[in-house]
Amino acid sequence: MVFPVSATPGRADRHTACRLVTLLFVMLMMVGCVDRNWETNDITDVMPDLEFDLVDENGQDVSAQDYSGKPTFMFFGFTHCPDVCPTTLAKLSAAIKQLDKEQRDDVRVLFVSVDPGRDTPQVMKQYTEAFGPQFIGLTGKRKQIDALTNRYRVTYEYGEPDEQGDYSVTHSSSVFAFNRQGEARFMASDFDSIESIVGDLEYLLKHG
Amino acid sequence: MTQRIHRKGFPATAAMLLATLVGGVLPLSAQAADLEVSDARMRVLPGDTPAAGYFRLDNNGSRTVVLVGAESEAFGRVELHRSMSDEGMASMEAVDRLEVPAGEPIEFAPQGYHLMLMQAVGEIAVGDRVEITLQFEQRESLSVEFEAVPPTSM
Repeated sequence: MVFPVSATPGRADRHTACRLVTLLFVMLMMVGCVDRNWETNDITDVMPDLEFDLVDENGQDVSAQDYSGKPTFMFFGFTHCPDVCPTTLAKLSAAIKQLDKEQRDDVRVLFVSVDPGRDTPQVMKQYTEAFGPQFIGLTGKRKQIDALTNRYRVTYEYGEPDEQGDYSVTHSSSVFAFNRQGEARFMASDFDSIESIVGDLEYLLKHG
Repeated sequence: MTQRIHRKGFPATAAMLLATLVGGVLPLSAQAADLEVSDARMRVLPGDTPAAGYFRLDNNGSRTVVLVGAESEAFGRVELHRSMSDEGMASMEAVDRLEVPAGEPIEFAPQGYHLMLMQAVGEIAVGDRVEITLQFEQRESLSVEFEAVPPTSM
């Protein structure tokens, strides 16, 4: 009598262990379904889908739908910005160069001007070409640009013009990343390394 | 052996003392050698847009030097600037003077201090060398060759 009594709890233990392992496995599967733990900053469900009406480098009216289908970076800046803007674009260019060759054309970078007074479509075209074929300059009316900056809760501000009419523009230094459907996914700040951006971008290329 | 070293040691000490004295009498010649600029480069950007100049400045002297400006025949205007980032907002301000203490190098590097190079006189191509003169408070200016680097360089 003693023997089977002790054997029954043993089977029960094994059964419980089995259930625990199964539960753990299911939980791991669920984690796999949840979006990646981004190396930069997660903006999934925090920022809205990409949407805008702007003017492209050729002077054509464009909207976000014209750029769906590829993982897309968006950055606000201006061409008379000698340091932060080219550095950010250079960083994105370096990140793209680290991808496999066939993946490089599968990425887009939208450089949106917050200084349309100086940044005409021609100026934007010349400027973005220097960074690579993935880079597209967008400009537009202040109202169109404001609609987009408001959508992503960023601001910009013009400095006082100097005696020669030159002025600086304070702007957001964040880079927003969207998946192929234009859904917001991650945001890179100044502090994020090229390696983190490449890691997140590779994930977006595969799964987004 | 020991004796020889002793004999050699004495004149060497005398020479060092003499050098210190000469250095003290001729401060200008000493100053010319105590500043070192390295990794001087400027990003070439298309069109009429301003470029940034970067470098490292080592002050190997014993006194603080003060950088007050820069000029170049290749640009209509050159200014010392500093980029700042505050809660995701990038801004830029002009810098009138920048103290470089002895033994504390200053880096002019992306997203920080930079020379803002405006109104390029002629076209500058990648690989060109552009002369820019750094100006200091109460001491001679320093002419530095900046290498023109591609827009995509960091």
